[in-house]
Amino acid sequence: MTPVAARTLLAVLALFALAGPLVWPEHAVQDLSRFLEPPSLAEPLGRDPLGRSVVARLAHATQLSLLMAVLCVATALLVGTLAGIVAAWRGGWVDTVLHGLSEAFIALPALLVVLIFSALANGDLWTLYIGLALAQWVEYFRMVRSRSGLVLAGPAVEAAWMLKLGPAHVLRRHLWPELRPLLATMATFGIGSSILALSTLGFVGVGIRPPTPELGLMLTEAFPYYHEAPWMSLAPVLVLTTILIGLLSLRRKEVRP
Amino acid sequence: MNASTTTPRSPAAPALRILRQRAVQAAAVVVLVSTACFAIVQSLPGDIAFRIAAGRYGYDQVTAASADTVRAELGLDRPAWQQLLDWLGELLALDLGTSLVTGTSVAGELGLYLSSSLQLAAAALALALAGGATVGALAGARPGGILDRITTLWVSAARALPPFLLGLVLILFFSVHLGVLPAAGHGEAGNIVLPAATLAVGLSGLFARVTRDTVVQIRRSEYVRFAATKGLGERLVFLRHVLRNTGVTLLSYVGVQLLILIEGVVVVESLFAWPGLGHSLVHAIFWRDIPMIQATALALALLVVALNTVVDLGALALDPRPRRREVVL
Amino acid sequence: MSMRLTHLAVRHTDTPLVEVSDLHFEPGRPVTIVGESGSGKSLLAHAIMGTLAAELTASGNLTMDGQSYDLADRANRRRLWGRAMSLLPQEPGLALDPTMRAREQVAEGAGSFTTDRRAARRSAGTLLASLGLGQASAAFPHALSGGMAQRVAFAAATIGDAPVLIADEPSKGLDQQARAELAKLLKRHVDAGGSLLTITHDLDLARELAGDVLVMKDAHIVERGPARRVLTEPAHPYTRRLLAAEPANWTRPCAHAGAPADAGEPLISGEGLAKAFAGQQLFSDLSLTIRAGERVSLSGPSGSGKTTLGNVLLRLLPPDTGYVHHAEALHGGRLQKLYQDPAVAFPSRILLRDSFGDVIRRHRLEPGRLGKLMASLRLAPDLLHRMPGQVSGGELQRLAIIRSMLLEPALVFADEPTSRLDLITQQETLSCLMDQADRQQCALVLVTHDDALADAVTRRRIPLGPAENAIDRVKTAG
Repeated sequence: MTPVAARTLLAVLALFALAGPLVWPEHAVQDLSRFLEPPSLAEPLGRDPLGRSVVARLAHATQLSLLMAVLCVATALLVGTLAGIVAAWRGGWVDTVLHGLSEAFIALPALLVVLIFSALANGDLWTLYIGLALAQWVEYFRMVRSRSGLVLAGPAVEAAWMLKLGPAHVLRRHLWPELRPLLATMATFGIGSSILALSTLGFVGVGIRPPTPELGLMLTEAFPYYHEAPWMSLAPVLVLTTILIGLLSLRRKEVRP
Repeated sequence: MNASTTTPRSPAAPALRILRQRAVQAAAVVVLVSTACFAIVQSLPGDIAFRIAAGRYGYDQVTAASADTVRAELGLDRPAWQQLLDWLGELLALDLGTSLVTGTSVAGELGLYLSSSLQLAAAALALALAGGATVGALAGARPGGILDRITTLWVSAARALPPFLLGLVLILFFSVHLGVLPAAGHGEAGNIVLPAATLAVGLSGLFARVTRDTVVQIRRSEYVRFAATKGLGERLVFLRHVLRNTGVTLLSYVGVQLLILIEGVVVVESLFAWPGLGHSLVHAIFWRDIPMIQATALALALLVVALNTVVDLGALALDPRPRRREVVL
Repeated sequence: MSMRLTHLAVRHTDTPLVEVSDLHFEPGRPVTIVGESGSGKSLLAHAIMGTLAAELTASGNLTMDGQSYDLADRANRRRLWGRAMSLLPQEPGLALDPTMRAREQVAEGAGSFTTDRRAARRSAGTLLASLGLGQASAAFPHALSGGMAQRVAFAAATIGDAPVLIADEPSKGLDQQARAELAKLLKRHVDAGGSLLTITHDLDLARELAGDVLVMKDAHIVERGPARRVLTEPAHPYTRRLLAAEPANWTRPCAHAGAPADAGEPLISGEGLAKAFAGQQLFSDLSLTIRAGERVSLSGPSGSGKTTLGNVLLRLLPPDTGYVHHAEALHGGRLQKLYQDPAVAFPSRILLRDSFGDVIRRHRLEPGRLGKLMASLRLAPDLLHRMPGQVSGGELQRLAIIRSMLLEPALVFADEPTSRLDLITQQETLSCLMDQADRQQCALVLVTHDDALADAVTRRRIPLGPAENAIDRVKTAG
């Protein structure tokens, strides 16, 4: 898929996530008389076993996933990048402490961190947010620290110091242009893996608590009715894979150098 | 100046350095995970002493008096940091406590979980390496060929299909439609096929891509070209130079992918009800069984450290070059 | 065994890169092709071997031992590799497999390797020992110095007893001592009755090898003849220009300009300096003073610590003992440095215009000065609209000179500023540097491994001895 097609696909999904909840606002209203109602014009994805509108739940779930993912990645990126630049720039004990901390985090699978955090409170959104951000900051930190270390020790920066160009010049002309493309690639993948982690948690039943709609949770709830209402299982899967494929195709050049 | 150090030292020195670094890392991991578990205890709603007493005597027998006994005994009325030190101290004494749900010793059950998780991880890794590296090497031998294009497609597909979706697809196909393989359980030979395959499909795509790219790059290298003009036949050049150097890269890549493998183990175990560390961790979180959460999370994290140590030592044996201080991911 | 090439041509789509009508190799008489980079001389070597890059096409004919080979078919010579003809690669550090011991890599070249590995290893060991590498035969390439790696590569290329040896820029990255050893090795092959084709930009190597010299420019051979004649009485204007660009032949009056050693006020003084690197003492108890307007060179072979000493003097690196004092006159950016590779001295993803703009804005310089300096160094103004990687090495080094001169420095420290450039470009670049230094009366410290260059440019030379027990020499200083 070309990056243009990927961008279009992602834009459509983003539109669904933003406008969908306005078009179909009532995701929690139950109507047991409409148990597993098949798709119709008014209800494009039918109704679930509790008679709730599947399309409304899907729209809300997509919105939640995208927002959470963007928020977590932004936080992790900001914290990791700042810490990485500070560590590389200052060196000394600051670097030792931050690097030591990252050594411990790098050995922890991200999912493990999120799982532990989800145990902190009953699947509250903020614990998931902190858990996901905490699980990811270390990637940014390590990349930024090692890249900045190389750049700051390189001849170009040495020349800049000898020309007395000052730290603002080093940040703007040396570090940022070097880090920006890598950060963009990592953030793209980070959004994908955050969405995945959220849905995985929902799927195994320790993420966001019902009745809040969530993609993984919806899949778990729909799977027992796979034979009667396959569209209910396929809809969240379709949203998930579309997001992932779209994000992956955005960055094809960096993936296959 | 980029002179490399060649001061003579004993051949064991780099290995010892790796072991020392990894030991420090393991210690840091233990402190981090254990502190997080302590934070869970502190954040739990309701009276901790009451819950622990309930864990000990069962919810039916618990009384306010027994909760008070527990509180005095465990010093739960002291400041949080003192309790944290105690908590870490217990861990240092290798006391993992008893499960709040089953009431049995956590350490006793841990061995069982660990061995079945290891079985699953080893089977998946072996499958992924055998499949991925072979296909990657063949694809790399003919860049742009049919196999190369199929590999590219497979890599994208494997990345877009997360383990739990892939697992579901496999269950639907092999268990529900064909009925040839069991979807869940443990103990029979067939049980491991689907979970291991689920993990291996995703990983092997990554391995295939890395192998392919590395083979292409190494075949273009000066030393491979020189080996050919020395008069070495094409097959020998591949066997003696391309394969070994690809192995070096692939091995360090396996080290990077260990995190993904362990994450996958957690998900796949839950999906297929495979009684390993991940399955018990998810269960323990569901029931807020804190001693069990701590033990299984620690075991998983330490497993990553241990496997990384093995990878480091393997890379040391394969690649004689002095190591850069850290691998850039 | 004699070898003859006729109507050899290499093309990229329709652009001819090499066109040579007739070339003849006799056993025992070396042939050397000289010329600047981009003249097509390396392509010639690869066209003969059949190792051209896939996008290039070759045509012509090779006759060897009464057998004729079409150069368009790159596979037909594969069975000759290592047995009848062999290639000594550029940069042996890259041509050796980093994960295999030296002896094993040499043994692979032996004819007996596929049938009797033990015998192959034995003869590899013997050959390495005869090259003075007995101890290094069990070493991995990363532990070898540039000269040692060159000898290992030589052993690997010649163990199969191929009578024709093609050496492609074999002296790249070697210091004078290692280059002398290399010349000896190549002559050894010739004396044993082999044919030798050497591709090089190094006129000293061509002189040492003697035999025939071919001068190549823009895909064609412009002059050929015995080395003694071509390299002393050149007939073609290009050859004359090439020879005049050798530092030993420079006639510029500025070569010995600059203030005498004891005239100016001290700018940098170092007292009792010592530095060890990688467990190896580079210098100790070194005291020196660099005065205003002076021309000083730090010279010595690779690994002698000249770059390190420079960085200590610039206070970019702390000495192990002793101290360095900088005079007031150097403060505020009036101490500048030029680098071996100018491409890494500019921020790589930023337009040169912005790099220079930052200097001008920060120091409130008059914007017109940049244009004037560029014009006086014969640089087109639109170079500024490119990235550093899109400008040739010579032009970029001149831009770096301009950048350092913008701040009117009292001292410029130039670390091997021309070691990656062709002879002619080197002369151009250095004369620009000397002009500017003269005009601004700034002191110049030149780090170089080339004694002739040091003599041509500076009055005072600080020689740094070869480091003792240098197992692993620094390979950066080409």
